[in-house]
Amino acid sequence: MKRELLLVASLAAAGVPAVQAQGFTPERTVDFLVHTGPGAGSDLFARGVAGVLEKNKLVPQRLQIVNKTGGGGLVAMSFLGEKAGETHMVAFFTSVWYVNPLIRKEAKVTMKELTPVARLILEPSVLTVRADSPWKTAKDFVEDAKKNPAKYKQGGGSISGRDNNTRLVIQKATGAQWQFISFPSGGERVAALLGGHTDLYIMEPAEALEQIRAGKIRVIASLMENRLPAFPDASTLKEQGINVPVIPQPRGMVGPPNMPANVKAYWEGVLGKMVKSKDWQEYLKKDLLDDGFLVGADLVKFTESYTNQMREILKEGGVKVLK
Amino acid sequence: MEMLAGLMQGFAVALEPMNLFWCFVGVFFGTVVGILPGLGPSATVALLLPLTAQMNPTAGLIMMSGIYYGAKYGGSTTSILLNVPGESASVVTCIDGFEMAKRGRAGPALGIAAISSFVAGTVGVLLLMLIAPPVAEFALRFGPPEYFALMVLGLSMVVLLAGKSLIKALLAMFIGLWLATIGVDLFTDNARFTFDRVELVDGVHFVVVAIGTFAIGEVLANLTHKDGGQMFEVPKGLRNLMPNWQDIKDSRFAFLNGSLVGFFIGVLPGAGSTIASFVSYGIEKAVSRHPEKFGTGAVEGVAAPEAANNSETGGALVPLLTLGIPGSATTAILLVALIMWGMRPGPMLIQDHPTIFWGLVASMYIGNVMLLILNLPLVPLFAQVLRLPAYVLYPVILGVSIIGVYSVDERLFDVWMVGGFGLLGYLMRRLDYPAAPLILGLVLGDFMERALRQSLMMSAGDLSIIYTRPMAVTMLFLAVAILLTPMFRRANAWRLKAAEQEI
Repeated sequence: MKRELLLVASLAAAGVPAVQAQGFTPERTVDFLVHTGPGAGSDLFARGVAGVLEKNKLVPQRLQIVNKTGGGGLVAMSFLGEKAGETHMVAFFTSVWYVNPLIRKEAKVTMKELTPVARLILEPSVLTVRADSPWKTAKDFVEDAKKNPAKYKQGGGSISGRDNNTRLVIQKATGAQWQFISFPSGGERVAALLGGHTDLYIMEPAEALEQIRAGKIRVIASLMENRLPAFPDASTLKEQGINVPVIPQPRGMVGPPNMPANVKAYWEGVLGKMVKSKDWQEYLKKDLLDDGFLVGADLVKFTESYTNQMREILKEGGVKVLK
Repeated sequence: MEMLAGLMQGFAVALEPMNLFWCFVGVFFGTVVGILPGLGPSATVALLLPLTAQMNPTAGLIMMSGIYYGAKYGGSTTSILLNVPGESASVVTCIDGFEMAKRGRAGPALGIAAISSFVAGTVGVLLLMLIAPPVAEFALRFGPPEYFALMVLGLSMVVLLAGKSLIKALLAMFIGLWLATIGVDLFTDNARFTFDRVELVDGVHFVVVAIGTFAIGEVLANLTHKDGGQMFEVPKGLRNLMPNWQDIKDSRFAFLNGSLVGFFIGVLPGAGSTIASFVSYGIEKAVSRHPEKFGTGAVEGVAAPEAANNSETGGALVPLLTLGIPGSATTAILLVALIMWGMRPGPMLIQDHPTIFWGLVASMYIGNVMLLILNLPLVPLFAQVLRLPAYVLYPVILGVSIIGVYSVDERLFDVWMVGGFGLLGYLMRRLDYPAAPLILGLVLGDFMERALRQSLMMSAGDLSIIYTRPMAVTMLFLAVAILLTPMFRRANAWRLKAAEQEI
C-alpha cells in the first residue's frame, strides 16, 4: 500500500500524466539485467525466460541479457537504481536482492525503491550428503550432530545466503550444531562435498539428479513444503519432525524506480501469458522448478513479509542488520 | 582400444566440414580476443552464447572451446610487445617477454610463446584424453588445507621474483596481500576497506593492478628519460624475427614443466591459469642453470608461463566433463551451453554423449595446429609494432591500457584506479621495488586467506590440520625449503651475484 502511494507520488513528481494508462509496447531491444555472470542462477533463469518469450513471440523486440556482476548483486541493483523511469530495462531478482540491502552499507537502493513486477518461480532445493555417508535422513544427521557438536561441516556460499539461513533455523529448532564453510563458487562447493571436506550441502534438484545417477550423493530431505516429484522418497523436514519455516528462494522480474505504470502493466500481461504457455510449463518441469507466479498486491505483500522473515533470520544468526 | 575407437570417432566428427569451419571460427576469434586486453575469453563466450543456442551442440562446443584456448595464444602478444598483460594469466609473460622485446627479440619471444602454447595445448588435450577420470578423483582430495599449502608454495616464489633486495620484494608482496583483502569478506559478510563504495565491494580487479603497475608504470618511467625517438631496435630480416634453434632447445624443459603444472593446477576447481603461470615460472627459475638471466629476457621465462596457461585449458575441462563441476569462469559458461542444448552436465556426461566428448577432444588437437599456423605468420607482423617511435608507441600503450581496463566492467572508476596504480608502479620502479611480487600477493592472497580460514573451520580452530595431511605437508616443506634458500650463505652469495648481473 505504502509502496504504491510512493509510486503514485513519484509519478506525479516526475510530471507523468495520469492518463498514461494506454498500452505500451517496446520499441527497441529490451535489456534483461542480471546480477550474476553467465552460467550462474540468475543468468540461466533470465535466459530461460527470454527463450520462452521469444519462442511464443510475446515480445516484439529482441531481448538482451546484460550481466552486471559484482558485490553479490549490489552492482546490478545500483545500476538499475540509477535508471529511474527507464522503459526498456528490467532485471531479474532473487533472494539476495532482498537480503543485501539489509546488511550492506554500500547498498544505495532496496526492493522498495525499485519496481517489483512479478514473482515467477520458487526454486526448490534438497539437502544432500555423500552417498557413502551414514545418514539416510535429515533427522539422522541432526541426531548425530547433536551428539557431536561442531564436528560436521556444511558447505555453501555467503553466510547471509539461503544455505546458511536454512542451517540457522534447523539449529535453532533442534539444538544440533555444525559448522558452515563458505566457498565462493558452486563448483568448489560440490567438489568439497564429493571430496569429503564437507558433509552436507544444499543442492538444486536438476544438479542433484545427475549426481545421484552417478551414485555420488544421496538426498536426505526436501527443503520445501512438499516432497518433490523428482525425489518421491525424500521426505520434507516437517515429516521428519523438524519444524522449521521453509525459506523460499524466489525469482522474478523487477523494474527500475518509477517504472511507468503502463510499462509495468505491459510486463505483467506478457508474463501472465507466458506462465500459461506450454513452453513455460515444460521449462519448469525440465529444471524441476516450482511455479510461483505472483503480481500486484500479493507481490507487495510478499516483498514485505519476505523482507521481514529474512531480517529475523539474519538477526538470529548474528549478522549485523542495518535496515 | 576403446579410447582409440573413441578418438577415431572423434576425428570423424571433428573433421566434418562444418565442424572444421566452426573450429576455425572459434580459434580465430579466440586469438583476436586474446590480443585485446581486458576482453577475456569468458566474456566473449558469454556474448556468443545466444548465437550458439541454434547450433548443433558438438559444433557449438567445438567453437566455444576454440575461443577458450585460442584466447590463451593471443594473450601473450600485448604482454611481450607493450608490457600490457592481455589476460591475467599473461602477467608473468611480461617479466621476460617485454625484456626480450626491449632487446630487439620481440619476434623470438612471440614465436616461442606460440610454439609453447601449441606444445602445451596439445599435451593438455592428451592428458585430458588419457587420464581425466583418475585425475578428477585426485583433484577432489585437494581440500582447503592442500589449497592453503599450494598458495604458500606459490608465495614462496617471491624469493625467486626478487631482484637485488629480498626485503623490498617482501614489502611489495605484502602490499599485494593487503590489496587482496579489499572487498566483502566471504565468511563474515563484512566489508573491508571499501569506504562504502559499491565499486570496491568485490575488491580491486587484478587486471587494474597489473596493467597499472606494469604498463602505465613503464610508460611513466620512460617519460622521464629524455632520449625519446626510437626506443626499441627491431632487427631486419625474417630470420631474426623468429625463434632460433637455440631458443627452442633452451625452452625444452619449460615446455614440459609448463604443460604439467598448467594441467594439474587447471584441474583444481578455482585455482586457475594465473596461479599456474606463476608456479611454472618459479619452477623454471629454480631449476635453471642460469637463474640470473630471468627477468632480463630469458626465453624460458616466456615459454614456461605461456605453456602453463595453455595446458590449463585441458585441465580445466576435466572436472567439467567428468564431474559436472566448472572450475573456472569460462568452463562455467560452457556448462550453461550444455544445459541450453538440453544436456544434463554431470558425472555421466561422457558416457551419455561420447560423440560430443570425443569430437571435442579431436577438435582440440586440430584447433591447436590451426592456431600454430595462424599465429606464427603473425609474429613478424606484430613485431613491426615496435618500430613505432616512442612518441607514438607510449600513447598507444596508454590507450590500449585504458581501453583494456575499462572493458573489464565498463566502469570509469577502474580507469582512475589504473592511473593510481600506474603512479605506484612508477614509484616502485624509481625506488627499485619489483612489481611482480605485488601481483603475486594480490593473486594468491585472497585464495590463501580463504583456504586457511576454511581449513580452520574444518578443524574447529586446530592448526594441526595444516601439517598433518601428507600432500599439504609436502608442499609446505617445499615452500620452506625455497624460502630458506637465501638464508644459506652460499646461496645468498649466488643471489647477490645474480642480482649484480641484473643491473
